[in-house]
Amino acid sequence: MAELIRYGAYLPRYRAPLAEIQSFYGRPGRPRARALCTPALDEDALTMAHEAAGEALAGAEAPGTLIALTQSPPFGLRKLSATLARTLGLPAETVPIDLGGHAGGLLDAFALASALARDGSPALVVASDHLVSHEERVCDLLSAGGAAAFLVGAAGGFARLGPAARAGREVYDVWRLGTEPEPRYRLEVLFDAYAATTTAALAELERQTERAAGDYAAVCPSQPHPQTLRGLGRAGVGPQQLEHTSFVGEIGNLGAASVGLALALGLDRAEPGQHLLALGYGGGEAIAQDIEVTAPPPAVGAAERIPGEAIDLSTYYRWTRGRQAEPH
Amino acid sequence: MRVGVLGIGKTPHKIQHDKSLRDLVVEAGRAAMADAGVEPSDIQALYVGNCGSVGFNYENSTGLMSAHHLGLVPSGAVRVEAACGTGAWALHLGCTAILSGLYDTVMVLGAEKMNDLATVEGTSIIAQAADSKEEYFSGLTFPSGVALTARKYMQTYGLTEEDLAHTSVKNHHYGARNPYAHLRFECTVEEVMRSAKVADPLKLYEVCPMTDAGSALVLCREEILRDRPEVPQVYVTATQMATGTWYAATDTLADAHALLAAPAQRAYEMAGIGAEDIDVAEIYNSFAIQEPLGIEALGFAPQGEGWKGAADGSTWIDGKVGVNLSGGLLCKGHPLGATGSTQAVDIVEQLRGTAPEGMQRPDAEIGISACRGGPGAVGAIHIYQRLEG
Amino acid sequence: MTVSAIEFSRLGPPKLRLYAMRCTACGTLSPWWERHHCYHCGGSEMVEQELAGRGELTNYTVVHYPPRDFLGQEPYVVGHITMDEGVLIPAPVVGVAPEDVRVGTRVKATLRRMKLGHEGDIYYSQKFVVDEEAPAG
Repeated sequence: MAELIRYGAYLPRYRAPLAEIQSFYGRPGRPRARALCTPALDEDALTMAHEAAGEALAGAEAPGTLIALTQSPPFGLRKLSATLARTLGLPAETVPIDLGGHAGGLLDAFALASALARDGSPALVVASDHLVSHEERVCDLLSAGGAAAFLVGAAGGFARLGPAARAGREVYDVWRLGTEPEPRYRLEVLFDAYAATTTAALAELERQTERAAGDYAAVCPSQPHPQTLRGLGRAGVGPQQLEHTSFVGEIGNLGAASVGLALALGLDRAEPGQHLLALGYGGGEAIAQDIEVTAPPPAVGAAERIPGEAIDLSTYYRWTRGRQAEPH
Repeated sequence: MRVGVLGIGKTPHKIQHDKSLRDLVVEAGRAAMADAGVEPSDIQALYVGNCGSVGFNYENSTGLMSAHHLGLVPSGAVRVEAACGTGAWALHLGCTAILSGLYDTVMVLGAEKMNDLATVEGTSIIAQAADSKEEYFSGLTFPSGVALTARKYMQTYGLTEEDLAHTSVKNHHYGARNPYAHLRFECTVEEVMRSAKVADPLKLYEVCPMTDAGSALVLCREEILRDRPEVPQVYVTATQMATGTWYAATDTLADAHALLAAPAQRAYEMAGIGAEDIDVAEIYNSFAIQEPLGIEALGFAPQGEGWKGAADGSTWIDGKVGVNLSGGLLCKGHPLGATGSTQAVDIVEQLRGTAPEGMQRPDAEIGISACRGGPGAVGAIHIYQRLEG
Repeated sequence: MTVSAIEFSRLGPPKLRLYAMRCTACGTLSPWWERHHCYHCGGSEMVEQELAGRGELTNYTVVHYPPRDFLGQEPYVVGHITMDEGVLIPAPVVGVAPEDVRVGTRVKATLRRMKLGHEGDIYYSQKFVVDEEAPAG
């Protein structure tokens, strides 16, 4: 079983006021998040991945593999993982792998990393996203940005990556048509599919581990919307299990980095002997994985990074409009 | 050395949307030839100082274009470029041409047409005179590169922003009296301090405007000018050039000083005079801080005190040495290729006694022009003297 | 200003890491562009030396009139950072308001987008942020 050796998380410091944004676009209703974690004009999925990866690699062995996942790559047809390996100064022999932009992909990456990690040659998994919503839909989407990174080794870590269970259904709840820049959402389908597939995956995981969803010290789910977290209650997850790992109501949806941030928040508080439940979801596919903490985690203080620094509406507009029209 | 200044001419220095680059060239060149009383066929070589026509005007061979439109064909012509020191380099080459003995009469002409493009484009083109590929990759521009020098000077010598503001006040006093200047208004220290920030700590009244202009000089062998006693007997008696680092990152205050101080020392020796003999000086000041730096480099004040003359009057018209009595680049603007040649024209006017009222220093006999560029890469010193008999 | 994706392929890659050039003759570090010539001793063999990324902000300016490549980012801070290795590096300073910038602040390098080239090539480079881990004062 592969182990987590170190991890890192990066959140841009700026918080845009969702209530003002909704009001500006003439969308009434209670905002679903206090603020949107907004990358600065000069940040993107690569620069944020670089920050999180740097934290995860500090003082550690150079990885033999780097797996990068994002739904908002700054460029296509070129490997983000290859450029990221260069920015990190990794040896030329490092194998760079790009995984697709499925929001639950971090746990797919863990499966791949577990298979590739060798003694003395860990695999680095980095998830980052810079979601930018289109003008008409800005208030449906909690578009934010951030990154998380995990160093996966064959041994010598503080937590074991345990069994993983999957469930899926063929739906269009979150998708993108071809190479459109803008993701499409159908929230009603999302809430249904999230609940149904996570329930099925959790049930399957319980069968494999003989541990009920309610028995984990914390549940660390991907968070496209606050309502999806409420749906977890029907699967036996209690609010205290989400108390320290929920952030979407504070800073919005981080796409591929979402489950990574939730996991970092959970690991920061975890103690040896506890089990955490990582739950990734995207586009109809749910993955649930048991993670057993065996030693005190090298905490990164992710929770302290949640509050951030307020920016005004005009700054948010200038940064995101520019990114939509033409990245500066 | 003695190179005769047979004629001078210049266009107004301002935004001139109705004039093209070639219009400015022809206007300045014809004015200089008329002033010299020569025909185009008398000009044996043409040195055109133009810094950015490829960027500003989408055309390149400015020297050849000028020869054609001025009627100088078949004499040789070339475009000279050395960043903001371009005009001074054209003057230097004109002098060396005469001193070589190969030519009797040549024309030096500086011209730049900067205002067909928007400010942001102009800023980008000007940046190409420095390392726009590498150093300016960091977001620097010319004003901000020099602003770093300004802050260094302030940190080293305790200069405040109010202290520096006096330089703009002095330049604007004379710019207001110069019919050829771009900016013709006086200002106070308070107004300088309140003017919009350009590149902290430099403000709007401490940076030059983008200007369209041309200026020219007809140079000749000493004997030719001696044989024309009706022409004021003004000669170029020293020309010394230098380079310095091309980078703001490696440009220390010592470098900024040496860039002009070293050629100035050689120029004084060449002309057989000292700093105390200078009556009038044109000192490159596209950004206000460069005037104190130049005053110090030319030996008019100790290092760290060059700014004081603007506050205590010693660099005004009746002070120890009149510095930038034309209004300097702060008011004349900085038409890149023409700045060096306009400095020469303005000093020659002072030595001839023909500068406008309120700008003319009485009994000016010896003048100096100091041009810099790059911003730390080009140093150019010329000394001019009225030598009767 | 950048010309094309061809030029990117020459210039772009080096900016992904922060490095300086060391003269093999005198050992002096120069900024990254000095590939040909040591300004200190005149030596002509320069080799890359990666920098640790930490230093002190010894000078700065605030740009209000940017060149085209930086339009929309103004006002922005460009600093002179004296790296712990001794070499002076020019770079933007981000994550702090221009009015709050102070000479003497400890800073560290980070990767950021710099600009878009003319053919959609993205230039990444090193910018500096306040080094929160540095001792105060």
